[in-house]
Order: sequence, then C-alpha cells, then structure tokens
Amino acid sequence: KLHFITAGRLFDDLMKEEQPESKTTYWDTIFRLVLQGQIEKACRLLSLHSARQTDDFQTLINLLKRMPQLSNVYKGSSVAEFDMKWRHWRDECQRNYEEQKFSINPNLETVVRILCGEDAVFSEVKDCCDPWYHMLISKALYQDPTVKACDLHYYIQGCQDAYRSTTRLGELDSILLSALESDVYQVIKDSRTVFSNGWFVAHLTDLLHHCGQLDSHRLQFGSDLQREFLLLEYAGSLMSHHSLWIVGVSYLDHCAEFGRKYLELYLDHIPLDSEKKANKILKICEDRNMTEQAKSICKVMGMRCIRNKRLGAALTWFLRSKDVGFATVLAEKYLLEYSESGEFTNLDLIDYLGPSMLLSNRLTFLGKYREFHKLYSEGEYHAAGDLLLALLQARLAPKQFWITLLIDALPLLEKTELIFSSQQTRELMKCLEELTTEYKLGKKRDGLGFTEARKDQLDVLKLALSRNLPKAILQEGTVNLL
Amino acid sequence: MFVTKQIESEHKDLIHDVSFDFYGKRMASCSSDQSVKVWDLGEDGEWKCTATWKTHSGSVFRVTWAHPEFGQVLATCSFDRQAAVWEESFGDVGREGVKSNWIKKSILVDSRTAVTDVKFAPKHLGLQLAICCSDGMVRIYECPDVMNISQWSLQHDIQTKFKCSCLSWNSSRMHPPMIAVGSDDNNPSGGGKCQVFEYNDSTRKWTKVETIVAVTDPVHDVAFAPNLGRSYHLLAIASKELKIISLTPLGRDSVIGNQSVVSRFEMKQVASFTDHESPVWRVSWNVTGTVLSSSGDDGCVRLWKANYLGRWKGISILKGDASQTRQDRNFSANPSQNPAGAVSQQSNEELVRMNIKRNSGWPSFNTKKDQGKTYY
Repeated sequence: KLHFITAGRLFDDLMKEEQPESKTTYWDTIFRLVLQGQIEKACRLLSLHSARQTDDFQTLINLLKRMPQLSNVYKGSSVAEFDMKWRHWRDECQRNYEEQKFSINPNLETVVRILCGEDAVFSEVKDCCDPWYHMLISKALYQDPTVKACDLHYYIQGCQDAYRSTTRLGELDSILLSALESDVYQVIKDSRTVFSNGWFVAHLTDLLHHCGQLDSHRLQFGSDLQREFLLLEYAGSLMSHHSLWIVGVSYLDHCAEFGRKYLELYLDHIPLDSEKKANKILKICEDRNMTEQAKSICKVMGMRCIRNKRLGAALTWFLRSKDVGFATVLAEKYLLEYSESGEFTNLDLIDYLGPSMLLSNRLTFLGKYREFHKLYSEGEYHAAGDLLLALLQARLAPKQFWITLLIDALPLLEKTELIFSSQQTRELMKCLEELTTEYKLGKKRDGLGFTEARKDQLDVLKLALSRNLPKAILQEGTVNLL
Repeated sequence: MFVTKQIESEHKDLIHDVSFDFYGKRMASCSSDQSVKVWDLGEDGEWKCTATWKTHSGSVFRVTWAHPEFGQVLATCSFDRQAAVWEESFGDVGREGVKSNWIKKSILVDSRTAVTDVKFAPKHLGLQLAICCSDGMVRIYECPDVMNISQWSLQHDIQTKFKCSCLSWNSSRMHPPMIAVGSDDNNPSGGGKCQVFEYNDSTRKWTKVETIVAVTDPVHDVAFAPNLGRSYHLLAIASKELKIISLTPLGRDSVIGNQSVVSRFEMKQVASFTDHESPVWRVSWNVTGTVLSSSGDDGCVRLWKANYLGRWKGISILKGDASQTRQDRNFSANPSQNPAGAVSQQSNEELVRMNIKRNSGWPSFNTKKDQGKTYY
C-alpha cells in the first residue's frame, strides 16, 4: 500500500465519479486493489457498479467479504487455523468459478480467478502489478498466504520471468533478491556500491549490528569494525556539507574506535566562515575535551583578526584559548599603540579583562596600567601614585615602558598636594637612576639613547623628584612632631 | 560523475603546480611564466583570481600554503635557485572587491641549483619548511616568531646524494618528525629512488632511516597519508607505477659507540597500480588518508580507496577531455573532507585545466552525485 500508490489514487478518482464503471480505469483499479489485498475498497467500487444487484456481482462481493484476513491471527487463532479457513474460502471461490457463474462478465471472471490463485491470470494482469516483487506478493497472497520467507524463492523465478521481456533486472532488484534470500552481506556490499550516498548502508549495518545479526565469525575484524567503517564513510561524506557537518559529528561520536581521531581531523578542516560557525565548532571541541583543536581554531580566528587590524577581537580569541604567547604579543601591541599615540583603543576590552588578565605578565601590566589611568582621571591621585610605584617595583613593566611610566609620574609630582611619600620618592629616583644608567651603557654599545625631547623630560622629572623629596620629608617630619 | 567547466587561467606558460589551502577555499597556481595566481572560491561556487604577481626570475615549480594558524602564507620555489615566502596583506576594506597583495617576506637563497620542492612542516612543529634541490640537498628552515615571518633561519641540511624532485612531511604527532624525499634521477643503478629521513631528538639531527629499494624508477611525487591513529605510516609514491608503501615503526636500534639511536621500520608494499599505464605524476591524499588520488600521463585522475580489510582498489576515474593531448602532471587534493582535487594539465595549448571533483552525499535520495569541475 505504501509503495504502490497508483491503485489508491485511481480509487480516489473513481469514487468522485457518478458512474465509475463508465471510466476505462474502473476494472483496472479493481484488479489493482484486489492484487494488493485491499478488499474493502474493491468491494466498495464493485457496489457502485450499476449491475451490482445481479447474481454474479453479489456472489463476488460476498466472496470478497468473506476472505479471511491474516490480521486476526495474533488475536487467538493460530497460523494453522488461518490456513484452514483460507483453504476453505479458496475452495469456495474455486467452486463458484467452475460453476460458471461469472462467465457473462469477463472482468468478474478475472477477479475470481485471482482469488483462486490461478497462475495464468497473473500473467494476464501483470501490468497491474509491476514490478516483479509486487506480483510476487500478490501471488503469495492468493496462492499461499502463509508462505514462509525461505520458501519465497519458488515464486521469484516465475514472477521475474513474467517481466523478463519488458524490463531488465536492475541493481535494486539484485539487492532485493539478496534480501529475500537473507544474504545480509551481499545486501550490504551491493548497497554500498549501488547507492550514491552511504546513508542506507550505514544505518542498515548499524541496525543489524545492534540486533546481533551480523555474524562476527564471517568478518575478520568483527562486525563492529565493519559497521564503524561504513559509519565513518558516511560521516565523512556529510562533513563536506556546509550545514550537515554537525550531523556528521554525531555520527562520528558513535564510532568507538576511530571516531574521535577522525573527528579531530575533520573539525580542524572545517572552514571557519564566520564567527558564529567558529563558536559552534569550539563548543563541540570543548564538549569533547579536544583542547588541541580548540586552541588551533582560536589561533586561526585570532590571526585573522590581527590581519584585519581588529586587535580587540583578536585578544578575545586568544584569551578564550588561554594562549599565553599571543596574548603577550597583543598586549605589547597595545602598549606600543599607546606610547605612539598616547591613547588606548578598545578601552572596554581592557577595562573588563578581569581574571583573564593574569594570563600573561604583559597583559596584567596592561590591565593595571589602564587602571592607573582611570584612577588618575577620577582624581584618586594617591591610589594612582601607589599603583604606579607598585608597577615599577614589581617589575611588571617592560623596561622600554619605564620611561612612559616615570613621565606619567610627573603630573602627580607637580601637584601642590603631596602624593608621594619620601620613601616612595626615593624609590622613584632609584628607578630613574637604573633606567638612565642602563641606557647610558646601552648607548655605548649600540648607539641607542634618549632623544633630546626625552632627555629634557627626564631632566624635568629629576627636578620634580628632587623637589618632592624635601617636601615629603618636611611634611612627614611635621606630622611626626605633632 | 563530474561536470566540466572552463575558466581561463591566463597563465602564459606551462603550469607546474596547483595547491589548495587548508580549508579548500583558496587555491594557488604557479607557472613557467614566473608568476603565481591565487584563486578564491566565491559564494556562487565560482573560482575567481584575486591576485597575480611575478614571484621569481625563473619557472616556479611548486607553491604551497602554510597552516592558517600562521596567517595567509605561501611559499614558492623556482628554477632560479631560490625559495620565497609570501604573506597576504589586505588592501582597503570597504571598497568593492577587496584586492589583496602578497608581499615577499623572505627569500631563501642557500641553494646552488634549482629548488624542486618546498613544503611546510606540520603545524605542531611550528613554522618550518623544507626545500629540496636538484643537487640533492634538503634544507630545513624555521621561523621562530610567527608574528614576524621575515626571519627564517637554516636549521638543518641533509645531503641525500641523489637528485631530489619531491618531498613530503609526515604529519603524525605521535612520531618524531619524518620526511620522505623522492628522486627523478633516470639512472637505474642509483638504487632506491625514495628515501625516508627522521629527526632524532637526542642528536638533534636528521638521519636517513630507510631507502625504499622497491622503487627504482624516477619518482615524481611522494605523499604521506594523514595518520589517523594508525600504528603505521602510509606513503604514496608516484613513479612509473603508483605504489603505496606502509611503514611500521619497529622500535629503535641503539648503536653503542657513536650512540646513535635509529628507528627501524618494517616496510611493506601495500599496493601497486599500473592502471595509468604511463608515468604517474602526482599523488595526493584526502583529509583522513582514506582516499588517494593520482594523476598520470594517460590524462586521467584516478581515485583509490581501501576497504575495511585494508585492500586498495580503484574507485573512480576522472577522464579529461580526450581531444587534446595532455599530461596530467600536477594534482593536489583538496584537503577538505571531500575527495576533491585540482588538476592542472599541461597541454600544448598552454591552458590550465583544473579539475575539481567533489563527493557530496547528504541524506536524500535525490543526491547530487560526485561533482567535479574542469577549468580551462
């Protein structure tokens, strides 16, 4: 009924008609319905015939209604009982036919002959039960409804012969043949080559494996491996699809032996078309603890951002993958940007770094430095000053940046209010000394030194520091006295 | 089944190599006209040339992409005895058709003869590349700083004692770095034409671990298969026939005295195919190392696959247009999941023909069968 829908369709068409028997398809439909075992519909059609009240029609309809249905067998009656009932019924059909009751209407006669299971009639109506397996079923229905699967092959040859002149045996047919003969391996082998995508064969093998039907003696490596092999193949074909790759992932998850390795490799190779896709893949990696792949994907995305000069986005990617090296590189880039332009880009990102700041020293410095700026702009000069000194003392800052830091201290020193205590001032002076000595030494070696502007700035700084020191001592001393 | 399409490559001379990037969305081709062209796969499925520039002062033999972790980086090698590393820089974004420029980042000039192959190392080894030259030297360079790829330093050189034509890195992470080098020396008495070298951590040297004596004809291409948790390596060799050799590591021999520890391998010829009936020029594996493709002088590209028992056999043949005499010389498999490859064929008309075959099967019974496109 599911596969051969012509009969149903024709039936529906006819039912809409007033006088169905006038249509040429009338008898054709009846034959089809009977061949499919759709007795009830056939009866209904027959009842619409104008001559339905005649004897032969009535007899036929009776016979049809009394045909034993196999569906009752599970409710109580056994197969043998059904068989007996069916034989009785068939004998009755036979009797009726022989009594020539239907000789008037050849179409009715054909129907009865089908009911009797007469061989010849099937060849006559073979157009109604194309292809051969339809005829196979129809024949079996009327000749031996309780036939066992293994005995089916008796009928197969006959059915195929009936169609041999008109059609060739296709590949699907040979697979069906193997299936009817319960030759599982042949079915699998042929399905693999015949069907262009592996969905059928992969699932079939999987089901068979779970039912225990795949005999592992026959295969050297066990049924599990073959199933896995086919699943891997199918999953592989899915992975290339731009949206079905996710389905492929779940298939690979079920391949116990090689699945994970394959998945790792495939995930690596999925093109990262968009951030959304990259995030999807990352989620998959994280769920399965594939840290290697996750890191790689983040790196690729980060590099892409760097090339597009989107440092903020790049930093997010590297923070996500906890990539220390690149985080450091980016932090330095930011600092470089600042020292060149005097401004920070992507302030939001730096402000909200939070604990990920600790990923790399540079990054920590960057975060803290930004904090310093914030404190300063908020007027928290003391806190700012403390932070600045802490940064210098902790040696978090790269030497190149010390100048900038010290220069930053300048406005704090020039405030009328005392920011730095004497101790702190001495610290600052020490740092300055260290810096200048180093640079002086460096100058001898590679000719690098301060630019004139820088030198001036440093002089101003020295001056400011030396002015601050006595101020600080005084104030501290005064307090002490009090 | 494949569909052919023609696109003018506009290379003015023979094309020596075609290479896909890691994701299979970009392609680079190089030619005797000394230039390299980069092609991008657009949304519409069409390949467009987004860059073309002169790279060397001689025929460019090979072009290869680095892993995208390092950015968009290409390396080329040429008859002019140099190898070069190129990086893409983007032009103005926002204008129609973002043009990209490729900048020469570094030139590797140590060779005294033509450089015949250049290949990047697997990414877990960092940014390294190996080049081989016709005087038999294989050199390995490293770039320590990924953010600045202008600094390459020569790390190792290996004297192979034969005329090198091709090399391939083994991408397995579980084993020490390994390179296979092939030679197209015509002299039959020279012994095995393919050698395998391995990096020894303790001596910090590359040493030869095997010579594949079974291969005595000139070798045009070698390729290691991606190793997916297998205990053995698969090496495909393109010479007079197509051979697949498996190398199983057997543990290490230690030679007391000069204290060298050498890996030993059991070598087995897993398959040998003469289907091309002519010299096989290029071999290339798909992502999982399950499908091998080969191209030969018979104008065909053949695909080979193993069943679950490990037996290899041909599964598909992509025939070119028979009307032109051509030699299927250059072939590289699309490293994406589908067995797809680009074949550039040198023909008398100096056209580039690129044949891309894709196996796309997704669960519907009206499947699009294997599609391939041929580009002229």
